[in-house]
Amino acid sequence: MGDLLKRYGGTLTGAFVLLTAFWLLMLIILPNLALFETSFRPYLPVAEMGGPRDVYSADNYVKFFESPGPMSVFGFEIAVPLRAQTFLYTVFYSVVVTVVAFAFSYPIAFYLAKVVSPKSVPTLILLLFIPLWVSEALRAFAWYIILTLNGPLNAALVGLGIMEKAVRWQQGVFTNYDAIVIGLVYNYILFMLFPIYNAMSSLDTNQIEAAQDLGAPWWKTHLRIVLPHSKPGIASGSVMVFMLAAGSLLVPTTLGSTRSNWFTQTIQQAMLESQDWNTGAAYSFLYLLLCTVVVFGVMRLFKVRLSDIAR
Amino acid sequence: MTKNITLSRRGFMAATAALAAPAIISSKALASSGELNFTGWAGYDKLKAEVFPAFEAATGIKVNFTELPDQDTMFAQAKVALQSGGIDMIEPTIDRVGAWNENGLLGAFDPAKLAMDNYLPGLADGAAGKRSADANGALLYVPSNWGTEALVVNTAGAKLSSPASLGDLFSADNQVVLRPHSALAAMGRYLDAQGKLPFPWLDGYSDMAKMTQLWDIALAEAIKAKGNVVQFWSGENEANAGFTANGATVGLCWDSTGFNLRNDGYSYVAPAEGAFAWHQGFVMMKNAVNIDQAHELAKWVSTADGAAMWATAFSSNPVGKGSAEKLNPDVAAYYSGTFNDEALSKLWWWPDQSAEFIAKRGEYADKYKAA
Repeated sequence: MGDLLKRYGGTLTGAFVLLTAFWLLMLIILPNLALFETSFRPYLPVAEMGGPRDVYSADNYVKFFESPGPMSVFGFEIAVPLRAQTFLYTVFYSVVVTVVAFAFSYPIAFYLAKVVSPKSVPTLILLLFIPLWVSEALRAFAWYIILTLNGPLNAALVGLGIMEKAVRWQQGVFTNYDAIVIGLVYNYILFMLFPIYNAMSSLDTNQIEAAQDLGAPWWKTHLRIVLPHSKPGIASGSVMVFMLAAGSLLVPTTLGSTRSNWFTQTIQQAMLESQDWNTGAAYSFLYLLLCTVVVFGVMRLFKVRLSDIAR
Repeated sequence: MTKNITLSRRGFMAATAALAAPAIISSKALASSGELNFTGWAGYDKLKAEVFPAFEAATGIKVNFTELPDQDTMFAQAKVALQSGGIDMIEPTIDRVGAWNENGLLGAFDPAKLAMDNYLPGLADGAAGKRSADANGALLYVPSNWGTEALVVNTAGAKLSSPASLGDLFSADNQVVLRPHSALAAMGRYLDAQGKLPFPWLDGYSDMAKMTQLWDIALAEAIKAKGNVVQFWSGENEANAGFTANGATVGLCWDSTGFNLRNDGYSYVAPAEGAFAWHQGFVMMKNAVNIDQAHELAKWVSTADGAAMWATAFSSNPVGKGSAEKLNPDVAAYYSGTFNDEALSKLWWWPDQSAEFIAKRGEYADKYKAA
């Protein structure tokens, strides 16, 4: 604080502090508090708000664990509450998105950071950025068009004689969530790529050469030198991609098959279709909480600390 | 029949023209008594720009229009206005009327001051008429415009039974576009028409115990037929793309979807069980001051011209006889292609759905989607 004052003077420092406080308080803390308070109240007609039935309870949260339905887990049919099913699928496929995004990003990041001549890097990064100039909605819709029955992918494959009959790609070939995974990876891959690229750039190339000089095969060089060094980048990239994927509403709505359901769609249904903001708020909070638990659990598993990510 | 209506419409127009003439000369003199405080939907700009000026020109009544974004807000405002005054008439949908009346907000219309014969069959009489009145038969609500959800059909590819039925949505011969909760209601009504339900489908809307029983049956049947669903829609875009991009042949969609696809080989068909339909209309506040003016607006919106203008402002369907011809000819042809008098009288109005019902309905929709 003293440092800030010395460098920018009273007026600017005051403006910084006020703007940050406004951001935190008005745009983050107060709305969330309002949502939190809402989530403990029952959904009542306007006339009964503030009346005798308007009391705090955890009923809205309990709904998450109601109405069990069959769900097959590794071939076993077990009864899992409907909302919990949706949550589990969402988390599972968000993890898939994160892993796929990582699989694509790692080699590209390595190429950008260590292989290609530094002169071409700005051009390559620009090329990577160009798709981001198009809005997320349009990108999702473009994938929708590509994957539909009468879309260009089928037209090309059938036209070239590779396939005999058009396929409903959107319904999924491997799982019901194929199209959603494709859309999410496409939309969020740069959030994985750039943190890894950043981390790799700070690696001294001499270390790689030393490993090679000492006879390490390429995969061992990556496993022992490059990967450990990029861990903070991978961790922050993974957290970002996971949270963005799990929180995405647009992509699952646009690209979802007739058998997929993302948890954000459940929240939207409660909020908009049912007009039950109270239950919607409860689901939102539960979702935030559960996703945070997942993220911290995975960080613990891979021995990543929060300070690594913030670097 | 048509001639009669035309005559009465002309008569009405002549009368209003006679009324309007002095209004132009001495609008100030009329201003004190010729006002109406009307609260309605925000976002339909033509109301202010075209409809109210036309109404004022016809009747000399000036409409003070308060725009509100949704019905919950309207309800809250009406509650305040019950103490403070300031609102004469409001425009909710019919399924809210019961709740509004229970809260003691509504006054009754005098049918003698309206022209109840102006309304198209099925809109203000029959089941809709019953819902428009309170227990003692007092008229609380008159319609202003309406819309439907029915079959959008690829004329070349769809395999329809004769006459077309909601059951065609669940036939393996068709590739369909649905929205989950409507699909389950369609299945329920189809089963109901086949006599395969333990009690009428409508009972589910008033009794939650029956609702779960009925919806369990509909859900199980709908899941059996789920293989032919190629796309779920929630908005106009998805519904449209379900046909054009995903090659669906039949869908249960809004009239607007059928309208947008009308030149691409699709038609909009009312099923034998009757199309799903909603309508909104006018209610009068219990403490309304400008009662005659309120009747005048409601009556004007039942005439061919008024109904057509009101419907155009909302991009929906008109309530008055003869108003279809007053619409844009394209819209008129589309509309009369689907709804003859029989199809009109069969319209199935969405019943009142409580908050508890809608939450449960969402749960069934999710189960259907996940299956």
